[in-house]
Amino acid sequence: MFQARARAEILKEVVNVVSTLVDEAKFTVNADGLTLRAVDPAHIAMVDLSLAKDAFEEFKADESEIGIDIDKLGQFLKLARGDDLVDLKHDEEKRKLKIVVGDITRHMSLIDTTGMSDPKVPNLELPATVTVRSDDLLQGIRASETVSDHIALVASPDGFEMSCEGDMDQVHWKKAKKDLGVLETPSAVRSLFPLEYFSNMLKSVSSGSAVTMHLGSDYPVRMEFKIASDKGEVRYLLAPRIESND
Amino acid sequence: MPDNPAMFEEVLSSSDVRTKSSRCVYCKGSKMLCGKSRCSVLARYFSSLGAKERIDRTELIGNSPPSVFVGRMGYPKVAVGPMIPPIDGDTSLMDTPERWVGLSIDEIIGFRSNLVRGMHWVDVGDVANTEKLVSRTRDLALAQQPPQVEAEFRRKPVGRLTVDDDVQPFGPSAPLERFEVANCRFDRRLEKAFFDTDLLAKDAVVSLYRSGSLVSQIQKAFSVGAFGLEKRRRFVPTRWSITAVDSQLGLHMLESTKTFPFINEFRVYETQSLDNRWAVIMIPSSWKYELIEAWYPNTVWNPHNDRIAIMSDHEFFEGRRTYASIGGCYYAARLAVNELLTRERRQAGVCIMREAHPGYILPVGVWNVRENVRKALSNPPHRYPTLRAALTHVSGMMDIPMSRWIRSSAVLKDALYQRRIEDFRR
Repeated sequence: MFQARARAEILKEVVNVVSTLVDEAKFTVNADGLTLRAVDPAHIAMVDLSLAKDAFEEFKADESEIGIDIDKLGQFLKLARGDDLVDLKHDEEKRKLKIVVGDITRHMSLIDTTGMSDPKVPNLELPATVTVRSDDLLQGIRASETVSDHIALVASPDGFEMSCEGDMDQVHWKKAKKDLGVLETPSAVRSLFPLEYFSNMLKSVSSGSAVTMHLGSDYPVRMEFKIASDKGEVRYLLAPRIESND
Repeated sequence: MPDNPAMFEEVLSSSDVRTKSSRCVYCKGSKMLCGKSRCSVLARYFSSLGAKERIDRTELIGNSPPSVFVGRMGYPKVAVGPMIPPIDGDTSLMDTPERWVGLSIDEIIGFRSNLVRGMHWVDVGDVANTEKLVSRTRDLALAQQPPQVEAEFRRKPVGRLTVDDDVQPFGPSAPLERFEVANCRFDRRLEKAFFDTDLLAKDAVVSLYRSGSLVSQIQKAFSVGAFGLEKRRRFVPTRWSITAVDSQLGLHMLESTKTFPFINEFRVYETQSLDNRWAVIMIPSSWKYELIEAWYPNTVWNPHNDRIAIMSDHEFFEGRRTYASIGGCYYAARLAVNELLTRERRQAGVCIMREAHPGYILPVGVWNVRENVRKALSNPPHRYPTLRAALTHVSGMMDIPMSRWIRSSAVLKDALYQRRIEDFRR
């Protein structure tokens, strides 16, 4: 059983975060709220999202799984303004999700979740932690986009740097420790990432949010940020690119 | 004709052919990136040919393969018309590229240069025009067997061979005065799609392909505006129609191949023809695709004497939104690899490498890419447990070192360097 009412902007935030990586996703609901874990088709990135029940205006649920076509949901939510209330109800027998926005009701067919995997989150020890405003990160990405298709994230005890090296040009974006919310690292670490993924993931973060990144050397980056006015949390994981010279 | 490759090389190396290899390789005589009004590489070649293929009459009778041509110059006012050889009997081979694998460039040029192109100018949207020149061109494209065609031209066909990177070469052309097609039967499947004026062109293409029509047949009918919603039908220039059909069919198959399980091993398929070497590498991964072409000095699109020109285009799982810079061959090869994946109900990452050697002196059309990739994929593959082992095999068949291929390849770099989430699960 799942029945809930939420402000449209919160659902839109969820759709944004998830649709960056997958078209279809399995949401798990229980009495405490809603969670989702998914890996993109190329297995390069992962999203791990949780939304507490008090992010909703009303929320009632037993343990169950709901397979949703994210694009379809996103399209429908475009009909709603940010502060409109959206009603959701899972019809288990007909395998549909009933969504009500104002005067409109849509019965959306659900996706069979039996074949969908339950990705495990890798257990990683990432020595460096840095917190940066999403808008600052996007600025650095914008500067890099025309230069190369991968980007290096470098954290050292005195600052955090994003650098991008193409065949012709190089771009460096750098912030000193004093200008960063949090910067903790015992030594300098560096990993290289596919720019398109990194960029798309950060573009789904609401403007003004703080993103906490956990980094290592030639290790995945874990990016954490809050959604739904701090009542939900997203953890993105992005696998590195390792250029060996053999 | 190309019975003397040395002559062509001589033309290319002569001092007054100035070309930048980087540009020529993308332009291929079609976009005039050098700023000249005619392609100097091709022009030199034609001038050396002379006019020996002239078909010196204003009247012509022969069996059309069947074949039609829709030009692109002057779009939306384009030249449409039949292609007719001065030959009787079963000429179908002349316009069925599916049957050309294994023929030499000389043989292909030999019979293609006999195809005389008749031209009649018409607006592309005017497919329902009742003028006989228009309706007969369309009927010819739907014909099942090579019908006899009788044409009268306004002047003698101008004798030269037209070559193009996308379109098969063909012979001289002339404006049409009139032409007649002997009684002939329509291909039943094409006819059905033609009369269904509520069927989207895309769906027509897919259902014809599924029912066994050849890509070249579908493309011919597509170019005369035989498919689609009645009001939206139009003539499509031949070179665009080839890529439209290749691309649509590829996209259609991708809808399913992207959901299939991965192949179980690394594979290498290979073939050689027309002094081109082909290697198709398949990787057990989600769909990604790349075509890399390497042109040796003095091959068609690389008139430079001293360096190899390499170009490539790729897409990852999401596909691409812009037209591939290397042109129609990208979509032709994508169709061919999806045919294999659909047959096996498997998904894979695919990297195709093409090494064009100096014996490849004339562009013969996109079919060359589609049919040779199909040919390669019809041979049993070499199977390997690792990508490194597969690449070692490819190194053995290509002259260009593997490091150079990797440097030009987004798909290989992704496979070699990009880690996956599961690599970090312990």
